[in-house]
Amino acid sequence: MIVVVLIAITVITTLPALGGVHIDLGAIARNWANGSERIAKLFHPDPSILPRTWKPLLETLEMAVVGAALSALLALPLSLWAARPSNPTRSRAGVRAVLNVVRAVPDLVYATILVAMVGVGALPGVITLVLFDLGIVVKLVSEAIDSADASYMEAGHAAGGTQTQINRLTALPQTWPVYASQVLYSLELNVRVSSILGLVGAGGLGRLIDEVRGFYRYGALSMIILEILVVVIAIEVASNYLRKRLR
Amino acid sequence: MGSGDHAPEGIPASGAWPIHLEDVIVRYPNGVVGLRGVSLSIAAGEMVSVVGLSGSGKSTMIRTINGLVPATSGTVRVGPYTVNELGGRRLRQVRGGIGMIFQGFNLADRASIYHNVLVGRFSHTPTWKTLLGVASHTDREIVMRALDSVGMLEKVWGRAGALSGGQKQRVAIARALSQEPEVMLADEPVASLDPPTAHSVMSDLKRVNTERGLTVLVNLHLMDLARQYTTRMIGLRAGEVVYDGPASSATDADFEAIYGRPIQSRDTLGQ
Ligand SMILES: Nc1ncnc2c1ncn2[C@@H]1O[C@H](COP(=O)(O)OP(=O)(O)O)[C@@H](O)[C@H]1O
Ligand SMILES: [Mg+2]
Repeated sequence: MIVVVLIAITVITTLPALGGVHIDLGAIARNWANGSERIAKLFHPDPSILPRTWKPLLETLEMAVVGAALSALLALPLSLWAARPSNPTRSRAGVRAVLNVVRAVPDLVYATILVAMVGVGALPGVITLVLFDLGIVVKLVSEAIDSADASYMEAGHAAGGTQTQINRLTALPQTWPVYASQVLYSLELNVRVSSILGLVGAGGLGRLIDEVRGFYRYGALSMIILEILVVVIAIEVASNYLRKRLR
Repeated sequence: MGSGDHAPEGIPASGAWPIHLEDVIVRYPNGVVGLRGVSLSIAAGEMVSVVGLSGSGKSTMIRTINGLVPATSGTVRVGPYTVNELGGRRLRQVRGGIGMIFQGFNLADRASIYHNVLVGRFSHTPTWKTLLGVASHTDREIVMRALDSVGMLEKVWGRAGALSGGQKQRVAIARALSQEPEVMLADEPVASLDPPTAHSVMSDLKRVNTERGLTVLVNLHLMDLARQYTTRMIGLRAGEVVYDGPASSATDADFEAIYGRPIQSRDTLGQ
């Protein structure tokens, strides 16, 4: 049943008569020789680019860490604000609505707009990452609070506590492992995202990627991609290790 | 609990509060009626059990007393306060004088035992102080004494989640005691515990009544625990009081009238 629906959707959306997505198989065949040559170059990484990558790589990592740290600071109160047990008042809906909007805008759109506003460099990149991380961390953490057992809150109310007191003394430690784990996850994502933000001028490795691509240096491009891969895997291994220790 | 503040048995502590319910009706938002016109008076320093089948309204009644469930109509008076007229700061103040323990312990499992018991100090602490994470010297002292009085002092820095059921309920009692309350409410405090542990937790509650002189109201669904540990028993059936009298001399026939069915083996804990 699902398969039939999927096929139907695919067929309908690609029908030229309906102005759907154009998939021009002829063009793929015509450009094949051109593309395969580039792919072949991609399989021969060019290490001579490496010395030029250190500085932008460091900038990418700095943006990732600073972005994750700033968003972590903001995400903690916002998560408690956005979850029902820790905020039974109506303001919760407002926080959620704003965050839905923040999440709906693609990161490259933030980066493009911010580069226009504050200029080329790491700053628009960091702000983009903060917005990107907030959307993810607050959503996941507040949903975790929503679904966790909150019977301890009833005890806090029975003892005459305010919601703020209950959140600070008990909801915080209850939420801590989920929160820390999501912050680490956002750091992982940041390394990937910040390495392409440079494409629109928001600092980091992306600018170098854009440059070597412009000069058709596909060997150098694949070297940079390999480098990003290694860094991403290293960060993932480290953060997986930390996350296991949180439990 | 310090050795200096033992009150002689039977004499209520100067602070204990009486409880009066007058024609209390509780209708939940979904239309279910939890209490249908309950009136009763509990004197300061009494130890009273509330018995009844599951769904008879025991939890509703105990939650009406500290305002966790609002009374739809009628009057709820605890000590000098009319609970059903209060909200906000004043309601939190009354709650501060009413300790409560729960069947499921209701501890923050990932927080330390110390922080869980510190919850009992909320109503005596300004919110900004709690936010800054500074507890006064007096608060720490009170928390430590409360833990000591239930034999849980050595575990103070451990996680609440690592404790056994009986230990968790002792910590919950310490949390309620650190409020320095005038009334203690207990909603089926031993229903999740094995028989020996149930008896020792009931003894702890009994001591709260005899040594500190607090008014104690405890929901129980087991008849032998009600007979053994409380002096007065209130029977609830379908949200109405159907028995109010001495607990130790309540007959099996009295229990059958409360339950509305013959006695079964699961109505007693056994030894
Ligand atoms: N939050 C609630 N919303 C709606 N109905 C409830 C709620 N809590 C209890 N009830 C209903 O009120 C009645 C009394 O319940 P309760 O006071 O929990 O009884 P007991 O504690 O004796 O088992 C039951 O019919 C129950 O289903
Ligand atoms: Mg109940």
